Amino acid sequence: MKVYRGLATGFGALLLAACQPASAPDDTASTDTAPANMAETSLSTDFTVDVSYHELDNGLRVVLSEDDSVPTATVAVYYGVGFRNEPRGRTGFAHLFEHLMFAGSENLPHGAFDTLIYGSGGVNNGSTRYDFTNYYEVVPSNALTAVLWAESDRMRAPNLDEAQLDNQREVVRNEVFVNVINQPYGGWIWIDLPMAANENWHNSHNFYGDLTDLDAASLEDAQAFFDQFYAPNNAVIVVAGAIDRDETLATIEQYFSAIPAGDALPEIDTSEPRQEEEKFAVREDELANQPALAVGYHMPERGTPEYYAMILIDQLLVQGDDSRLNQSLVNEEGFASGVFGGINLLGNAFNYNGPMLWTVGMIHDSEFTVSDVMTSLDATIEGVRTDLVSEADLERARTKLLSDFYGTVDTATRFGLVDLLASFAMFDDDPSRINRITEGFEQVTPELIRATAQDYLRPTNRTVLEVRLADEDGTE
Amino acid sequence: MTIRLFQAALSAASLALLPSLAQAQQPSEQPPIGEPVPFELPETRNFTLDNGLEVTFIPFGLAPTVNLSLQVRAANLDDGAQTFLADLTGAMMEEGAGGRSAQEVATEIAAMGGALNVGVGRHTTNIGTGVLSQYGPDAVALLADLALRPNFDEAEFERVRANLVRDVDVQRAQPGSIATEAYRRILFGPDHPYGNTLPREEQLRGYEMADVQAFYDAHYGAGRSRLYVAGHFDEAAMESAIREAFGDWARGTADTAASAPASAGPIVQLIDRPGAPQTTIRLGFPIMGIGDEDAPAFEVMNALLGGSFTSRLTRNLREDKGYTYSPGSGETWTMDGGFWTFNADVTAADTAAALRETFNEITRLQNETPPADEAGGMRNWLAGIFILQNASTGGLINQLGQRDLYGLPDDYLDQYVPNILAVSDEDISAMAREYLPLDQMVLVLVGDLSVISEDVRALPEVAAAEIRE
Repeated sequence: MKVYRGLATGFGALLLAACQPASAPDDTASTDTAPANMAETSLSTDFTVDVSYHELDNGLRVVLSEDDSVPTATVAVYYGVGFRNEPRGRTGFAHLFEHLMFAGSENLPHGAFDTLIYGSGGVNNGSTRYDFTNYYEVVPSNALTAVLWAESDRMRAPNLDEAQLDNQREVVRNEVFVNVINQPYGGWIWIDLPMAANENWHNSHNFYGDLTDLDAASLEDAQAFFDQFYAPNNAVIVVAGAIDRDETLATIEQYFSAIPAGDALPEIDTSEPRQEEEKFAVREDELANQPALAVGYHMPERGTPEYYAMILIDQLLVQGDDSRLNQSLVNEEGFASGVFGGINLLGNAFNYNGPMLWTVGMIHDSEFTVSDVMTSLDATIEGVRTDLVSEADLERARTKLLSDFYGTVDTATRFGLVDLLASFAMFDDDPSRINRITEGFEQVTPELIRATAQDYLRPTNRTVLEVRLADEDGTE
Repeated sequence: MTIRLFQAALSAASLALLPSLAQAQQPSEQPPIGEPVPFELPETRNFTLDNGLEVTFIPFGLAPTVNLSLQVRAANLDDGAQTFLADLTGAMMEEGAGGRSAQEVATEIAAMGGALNVGVGRHTTNIGTGVLSQYGPDAVALLADLALRPNFDEAEFERVRANLVRDVDVQRAQPGSIATEAYRRILFGPDHPYGNTLPREEQLRGYEMADVQAFYDAHYGAGRSRLYVAGHFDEAAMESAIREAFGDWARGTADTAASAPASAGPIVQLIDRPGAPQTTIRLGFPIMGIGDEDAPAFEVMNALLGGSFTSRLTRNLREDKGYTYSPGSGETWTMDGGFWTFNADVTAADTAAALRETFNEITRLQNETPPADEAGGMRNWLAGIFILQNASTGGLINQLGQRDLYGLPDDYLDQYVPNILAVSDEDISAMAREYLPLDQMVLVLVGDLSVISEDVRALPEVAAAEIRE
């Protein structure tokens, strides 16, 4: 077994800081607060995530992160298959298969997995994204061993049977109804726009699944999919929280190491050609009563300097009330109540590995035409393509990112934390990147921002999606 | 990762060499679950300013951030007949304060890592932000500007009102909003704000800047507000910033808004949505208030019946029948009572069947005490997720805010888990009998009536109700 020991200092530093002698507190009320440090050094901005990284002989990568502040443990198993690499003719299969992984395994009949998690006081879920499918749970720490056993059982031997497939097919059909087909705007910006913007089938198919493809999915498909993609050498397991690192690693070895490695994964070309012509798409929406507009630009490749610049551009242009598009389109022009968007709308700027869009969208007033909105949007975007951003604007973008990062990793469930650890392990083979997450942004200069905007925010690199009302009067 | 091949080979070799490993089989028995480690709520500190503003400090969390939440007892409950006037007031509060424009406020708070949001609910308006720890005192000052000195600039008013008109229009296109609007109207009638979840468009267009100012003057004030500070922060610096920023806020007028009890059915309302592939269901009953002695038992009953992923309704309707993706149930508390709602979006053709199963599950729970392991699992679940509900700064603010809003005892959160664990298996069925009488149900269905109406009307529970279409 290879062992990677990452930073193991972690929260220790923070706790030490908090225990330094305090200057006399001038409490006016009786107080029994935790020791508070009133010295100017009390507000340490140190924040380090404990990370250790290992690989079992069967290729399963293991990330552990200890933090004893709350007596819970979070477990996440990420498989390196998402809707980008699902089979042709089986759109939506990666997601349907995710549902099947909850349908029982050799030692846990249907329902027993959920009962184990809930009955011990936890919650669990799974999701399917571009480049991974994940299964995660948070439980009181006393249930950790049982949860690891259960996750290993379904990695080793899920029950793939016809009745469960038929049942989950119906559940997924209802999921598509409730999220897409029976909703105004359903899926417009996260399904319709990527389908229009991308050329390569892997990026441009309907990843929730065409209903006919879902109907055609068979048990043989499920077995083949499992055999190909759900092997330990295509997976990462993360355990974070109130754990003992050595004990947890030993438990993982005990339950997972006998699961055989799978064959090498097929090489799939997911690349997108460089876009040279602006594209337009229209969705006629029978259910919507206000028009909407979405614009998607192809992102620079993940991990490049331009990618980090684009993450800052996203902050400058669309994240928060201070962002330029919110100022111009919302506050000044009154086109919409808000402008939203970002990189990877089904996740974040870190948890994908392939072509991606930077997206801007809004539901706008029918009083304004698409051309009104686009003229204003173009003027704002042209600003970053032409003028250098000020240091103050750049610094504010970095501050917002840092604050977002804290908000992602410091939550009760730790799902945001384990997601970043799993993504950095799976896509970068380096979960300790979480402690260097700001590095890429520190290198970005105003010149790089402008150059990136010149190249990537050109109109010929984008797709404009209009949501038009089926009835132009806007009645229901 | 070319080394994988070697690893696979090595792995096979080592398995052959080590019989103990080679025979390692997955244990078929689940490892035991040990005793839970106790979870301690963080100690909090409270103080009150002379003007009545109550402040709670909650030191908690890992990251160097601090959350601020000013909760004002001025919200939709205070709308009177002017539905959404609280929302319009909240939206105008985001349009600049203390002589700074909205843009200036947004830029200042963003430079601290935050955003200032004004969220209007049934009972409170929450003015909140989260910033990097070192900016805590500066954020307090900015937040106070928003609460105490909103610009209420007439020049912004028409745009803000138009935004709200558009947002309401968008909501009215969603089957869930349509169902909830009708459901609440049945429970509370047209004359109480609880019964009016969305304004009419012409009503909203009729509001003027003077209405917003009047709402603000009548309902905002230190005496109706609580400020929660949670995260990592320098307590002395924050206390002094709070006293400085909020010390001269007027106490405001007394809180006189009246709650209203929910009324029971039996009433069934059918709302046509031609071509809808699913039917959106709201099924509910009036229940006790959150502070009532029945509340813990009711919460366990809810978890078992429909409020958790392992609940009977989820297992039956979703995992067994495949009628729906996201069934769920839960309590909604009012100031002196509450109501319970089961909601689901079911395949149109299965609507009557899904309702039949739902009625059967309710009846079964009323008639049969649940098995001990099932009931115990639900008590454990609520005890366990109590940790998750309280293990973040936002969660703690929500939990303490709820305790304070509803006037629950100081030790409400400390007693929550013991109270849940004390619920007996028999109590669970008793709650279903007492509070979920099917012959007094309120049921709203939004769907394609040409597909669902006949089958639904044939259900005896529906046939016995007043049916509105």
